[in-house]
Amino acid sequence: MPRTHKSLVKVALAGAALGLMVAASGGARADSLVVWDQYTDTGQPQVMQKLIKNFEKAHQGVTINETERTFDDLSMTLKLTVAAGNGPEVTQVNQGASDQGTMVKQKLLEPLDAYAKKYGWDKRQSASVLARSEWSDKHQFGEGHLYGISGLGEMVGLFYNQKVLSDAGIAKPPADFDELLKDVDTLKAKGVTPFVIGTAKGHLALHMLTGIEQAHIDASKRAALDNVIYGRGGTFKTKQDLDASTLVQKWAKNGDFNDGYQGISGDDAVQLFVAGQGAFLIDGTWYFGAMQTNPDIHFMPIPAPADISKPLTVGGIDLSWSITTNAKTQAQKDLSAQFIDYMVSPEAANTWAGAGFFPSTPVTDPSVVKSPLLKEGLAMWKVLGQNNALGHYADWASPTMLKTYDDDMPHLLAGDMTPQAFVDALDADYQNYLKTGK
Amino acid sequence: MAATSNQTIAAAEKGAPGKAVRVARPPASRAGMMPASVLDRAGRGNLLYVLPGLVVYAAFVFLPILAAVAVSLTTWDGLSRPIFVGLQNYIDLFSDGNFYISLRNNAELILFYAVLPLIVGIGLAALISVTRQRERLVLRTLLFMPYIMPTAVLGIIWAWLYNPAFGPFNQFLKAIGLGRIALPWLGDFTWVLPAVGMVAVWYFFGFCMVIFLTGMQRIDPQLFDAAKVDGARGWHAFLYITLPSLLPEIRVVLLLTVIASIKSFDLIFTMTRGGPGNATLVPNIYMYQLGFQLNRYGYAAAVAIIGAILIFIVNYAIHRLVRPMDKAAS
Repeated sequence: MPRTHKSLVKVALAGAALGLMVAASGGARADSLVVWDQYTDTGQPQVMQKLIKNFEKAHQGVTINETERTFDDLSMTLKLTVAAGNGPEVTQVNQGASDQGTMVKQKLLEPLDAYAKKYGWDKRQSASVLARSEWSDKHQFGEGHLYGISGLGEMVGLFYNQKVLSDAGIAKPPADFDELLKDVDTLKAKGVTPFVIGTAKGHLALHMLTGIEQAHIDASKRAALDNVIYGRGGTFKTKQDLDASTLVQKWAKNGDFNDGYQGISGDDAVQLFVAGQGAFLIDGTWYFGAMQTNPDIHFMPIPAPADISKPLTVGGIDLSWSITTNAKTQAQKDLSAQFIDYMVSPEAANTWAGAGFFPSTPVTDPSVVKSPLLKEGLAMWKVLGQNNALGHYADWASPTMLKTYDDDMPHLLAGDMTPQAFVDALDADYQNYLKTGK
Repeated sequence: MAATSNQTIAAAEKGAPGKAVRVARPPASRAGMMPASVLDRAGRGNLLYVLPGLVVYAAFVFLPILAAVAVSLTTWDGLSRPIFVGLQNYIDLFSDGNFYISLRNNAELILFYAVLPLIVGIGLAALISVTRQRERLVLRTLLFMPYIMPTAVLGIIWAWLYNPAFGPFNQFLKAIGLGRIALPWLGDFTWVLPAVGMVAVWYFFGFCMVIFLTGMQRIDPQLFDAAKVDGARGWHAFLYITLPSLLPEIRVVLLLTVIASIKSFDLIFTMTRGGPGNATLVPNIYMYQLGFQLNRYGYAAAVAIIGAILIFIVNYAIHRLVRPMDKAAS
């Protein structure tokens, strides 16, 4: 049957041509990247789209397939997906033992030391900042090979509403910790909510607690905290931990928090605060996008006791950009590194700052910074860099620490767990991690 | 042939009741005769038609259960190779305080998933069964509507309703002067479980009511006439005629709602994530936390297996204890 025979030959030729094309394209160039990130807060997706478009324009023929996920969703899906051989080549990964540490241990992330040297990343971000994405061959955190670099910086501080304060007779924000305590009492006496907080979802309570703790640590004495976070040893049963837990419990009991705070989320609390329903809110720079809609709101470090000259500020950097082992060819790895380099470049930093966000690479064009909040934040960041006073997220200490905080903070605030028992529970979790490694 | 078919029927009728009647072989197919159905073929040929369903069941139910049992005998972080530990996970589970908390919370939730909707359902069915046809139809449809909504969506909506700052419940309470009981429902250790449970009551009561309405239509009206003659009032008739006749429906409703309560995940997850603290922790949420937040998949699988065994035990108990009066119905 000649007709069938001819069709067969046509099909065979087409198949061979296709095969040749596929073989040719898999060669020296990589022309697409799968990128995962967690830039889902207000304003962030737009900045990512802009940066991606700029990158594609500068690299003709390259397509970036980007997906955004919330922090929880990213944590949940990333490890399993990469371990199965699917998923992104470039991704943001949460630092610490739970996510980045685990992935490094399972050899799912590529070391970036060569690229860091090539692109000079150590000149853009300080050694103590880069250390947060380092893991050694002996699986020691905070030293060794670099596995990621972050685009945004983060700090936890005190948001205050100047108008609410003035209306209550407080002319300027507290200069030190004792003044903060006095202001809380003054506000309460005038019937104004001192702190706006929501504990049903989010981690505002954790940030308040650890922010106050670390404001009581001077940068010259920071080694103990560093050792705890980096898993080198130490304890959670310190005086500042106990004092801060006692204070936060006292505030909750006294009614210094907004009514019904146990039933609202952190995001709800921010909405209430932006609407002028309280004087202070303690949380991080990721809320700048929401806060800048109310021009009365300002940002400052949590005031420290008068005798501490260089208090630590909880924070660090946002999730770091990493290359996974899904980038199999050298071309893909190089393209991934180029993408990451662009994400932490001064140009990207200026774009983030122009949108009101907080880059970890220094901003080279101060004129793009329009938001007053961001100006305050950037000034703080500079001082922290000079003083080596950037603190840590306490939940990095062990893979289960965040859950231990989440389970126990509601009991501490409700008053049915003593501060000592609370601190003991955290320490038990940490000591267990030191002993068993999980 | 007609004669042959009649013989077949006659043979069947001759067979004594209770004795197995030998099925006559279908006659060979001939032009003009009604061909015998392939479904009448005995035994192994029929397996072919069960096979697709069996394959799906094996792939999506049976094999995963076997895999879960296998994983529960290991320690596994989801990434590296599983390490065989035998029954250690189950031994650890017995001394795990969180697991007992989750079981206790689940027992409390059974009250809201099964008992309350059942009572409300029977009560409403009794009230509605005496209304006119048209009103009954409207009421039945309206009251059944909560059941058609996805529980995850319900959880999100009710979480907003309960929100102390923005939600309408507390705003209403404050507006009528009851601000003192305008609690943070989903953040209060005592009230969070009843608050979540109320959503389950709202979800299930219409479903229970519809099942009981159907059951009530089964009851012979002559029974009620006889009761009236004997001087029984409405309440007595309900207690001594309606309720016992509804035992098959009660059993079905209990089975379904208890299974739903032990399976409950999406409602609690969207409303409280198991919090505050562990106040709404149930085994399924605990399993989720162990696996996806703490990377202990072997231990999580052990929780799942124990949960499944508990469902079997509770349902067997219901099956045994709630027996209808007439044996034929079981």
